[in-house]
Amino acid sequence: MATADKKITITIDGKTATVVRDSYLLQAAQGLGIDIPTLCHHRDLTPTGNCRLCLCEVEVRGKKRLVTACNYPVREEIRVETRSPRVLQHRKILSEMYLGRWPNVPVIKEVAAKCGVTSSRFASELTDPNPKACILCGHCVRACAEFVQEEVLDFAGRGIKRHLTMPYGRVDKRCIGCTSCAYVCPTGAIEVVDGLNGPVDAKLIRDYGMRINAEMATLDKFQCAMRDVGTANIVQVMQAYDLLPTHNHKFGAHPDEIHIDTSQIKKRVTQGMPDGCWKGCSMACAKVVDNFVLKTGPYQGQHVAVDGPEYETTACAANMGCFDLEFVFEFNFYCDTYGIDTISAGTCISFVMEAFENGVIDKSHTGGKELRFGAKREVLELLHEMARGEGFGVDVGQGIRWLKEKWVREYGADPAFLNDIGMEVKGLEFSEYVCKESLAQQVGYSMAVKGPQHDEAWLIFMDMVNNQIPSFEDKANALYYFPLWRTWFGLMGLCKLPWNDVVPADNKKYPPPVAAKVPGHVEDFFKFFEGMTGIPLDEEKMLQQSARVHNLQRLMCYLLGGGTRQDDMPPYRAVGPVTAEEYESRVERYDKQLRESVGVDPAGKSTEQKVAILRKYRLDQYNKAVDAAYDRRGWDRNGVPTAERLKELGIDLPQVMALLRSRQ
Amino acid sequence: MVLVNNRDRVDWQPGMTVQDLLDKMGYSYVLITVTVDDALVAKEDYASFPVPDGAAVTVFHLAHGG
Ligand code: SF4
Ligand code: SF4
Ligand code: FES
Repeated sequence: MATADKKITITIDGKTATVVRDSYLLQAAQGLGIDIPTLCHHRDLTPTGNCRLCLCEVEVRGKKRLVTACNYPVREEIRVETRSPRVLQHRKILSEMYLGRWPNVPVIKEVAAKCGVTSSRFASELTDPNPKACILCGHCVRACAEFVQEEVLDFAGRGIKRHLTMPYGRVDKRCIGCTSCAYVCPTGAIEVVDGLNGPVDAKLIRDYGMRINAEMATLDKFQCAMRDVGTANIVQVMQAYDLLPTHNHKFGAHPDEIHIDTSQIKKRVTQGMPDGCWKGCSMACAKVVDNFVLKTGPYQGQHVAVDGPEYETTACAANMGCFDLEFVFEFNFYCDTYGIDTISAGTCISFVMEAFENGVIDKSHTGGKELRFGAKREVLELLHEMARGEGFGVDVGQGIRWLKEKWVREYGADPAFLNDIGMEVKGLEFSEYVCKESLAQQVGYSMAVKGPQHDEAWLIFMDMVNNQIPSFEDKANALYYFPLWRTWFGLMGLCKLPWNDVVPADNKKYPPPVAAKVPGHVEDFFKFFEGMTGIPLDEEKMLQQSARVHNLQRLMCYLLGGGTRQDDMPPYRAVGPVTAEEYESRVERYDKQLRESVGVDPAGKSTEQKVAILRKYRLDQYNKAVDAAYDRRGWDRNGVPTAERLKELGIDLPQVMALLRSRQ
Repeated sequence: MVLVNNRDRVDWQPGMTVQDLLDKMGYSYVLITVTVDDALVAKEDYASFPVPDGAAVTVFHLAHGG
């Protein structure tokens, strides 16, 4: 019977199983505890059905036929026999043939014994006595293609001449030495020669690294689609959750997002290439747009390959109101070519646009450019000016903090307004997430040592959507653990994306606070450390390693004249609605908060009054969250690490303590 | 009335399934874990798993990206 058409009930050896449509018969049988012999099947690789040992007899609408269970997708009601006389006879002959060819290979002997065969009548000149002979199972071919997308290995020759090879029978230079092929080889035919980088325990690293390779091969397509479209997979997510910054972080969604949506990007990027970011990475999220024709600048008319676009770069375009993929590619290409950071440039130009629309600056300041939201041509002109060191580009290249100071000093601009809308902290421009509805994210952004970059903390979903860290204490705990965990990747020189941009299938078994840490992958990374250094690692030791560096970094900021509470204060745009326009765009949400959290009836109040009341409330909440986070980190209420904390971390060096005292 | 993530109140409708609730909340994310009154719901059951009136539902979004 079909239930809600995603599930099908089938019968195997008289037992009933309900399975998900399109799942393979072998899994269904295994789920019932029925053992079917296999040779070419591998749990993490696409089944090919070439050894035929897993034959079963399937009855569909009264007709019986033999199928290979490993690659037979269940799509309708069937009755299956896994041990009918016909099946057993076929398996017996097959295993006798395998045993005749490879009499000493342990996996062959094992599977033959399962089929009731211990000797073979089929010895011939093909018989290979090597116990580590290649049995042509194809695991290695598929691992090379599916784990690391290299496709260096394949079979050549037909019939008895079939053999494993690299192109033209030579060692292919494209082989990256990832050892995936050897790892999945059931006979040991491919041997690994270790030695590169001198890890203490290469096997340990391989055992845990292959888990991630296998997840990328099997789960990524159902999860984040990093291989397909890279980090741009979240453009549509951010739009759906009102988190995609548009018009200088005023709003979190825009109807024109559809033009730069994940699905549009997917159509344009070169697909399925091994990674161009770090050769050998099985996540392979770096993308390329080939054959793009530039419309502006020094390379106008040339056909180029453009890297990406990453989520952040795409979101920058939304922030500037430029919802056009052609623009995204051109902006991306020139930022990369000029060595300009897309995030800083995008956020800074968004700020310039809002200032222009509000009359803070005009065409006399911008060199005649009408820099309104959506002014794609003008943005590109400005970018070229920045690179050439000419005109208004010289000013914009200095960043938001510098612009605010100049405009107040020289143009008499209102500093309060500029400070509210200038999306920078510590002089660094915000990355591309709207954090107004997540207090933990506001604090995470603003307290990050280098400025509002999300690589120290990304807590929006935990906080705003899941309501998982409701109290100040919960938020402070998250603001303790996650920044230190994320800092640890930087210390190790490891990419963080394989931690949570693919997730083990069993991660759901953990309760949310534990699941958020992705424990399976934390374990993988701890084992990488141990395999490399020989030193076992656990959460406490990891946090200690990171906290030592993180606190020293914070101290350096302090000694350089920053690193205090006032340096952790965000522009109000990051905390709540600055303008009446913003408030009214989400009036239901904000009125609800006034009623339910602030205890003020919004009825009869002007939008300006409501903005002011909400502002007071939200800033108060912000400050309380900062206090809690400082306490949890062992920093004083001015955000400076305490002497006790430095001592606890073993970084209370005399020079450090003397410098600390010199500023107190 | 259904309580989502111990905070959001959603009107209940007869025959409501997990998928109906996710659609109503606008929850289109891929890495989510759903429980209905503490029972874990498998993804393939979203369209058939009933949400009773008064249920406490959690929709846990696992952060990726960032
Ligand atoms: S080491 Fe990696 S790249 Fe080289 S053949 Fe084996 S799987 Fe392919
Ligand atoms: S080398 Fe190993 S994995 Fe590759 S086909 Fe031969 S036996 Fe299978
Ligand atoms: S295991 Fe199914 S055909 Fe080899």
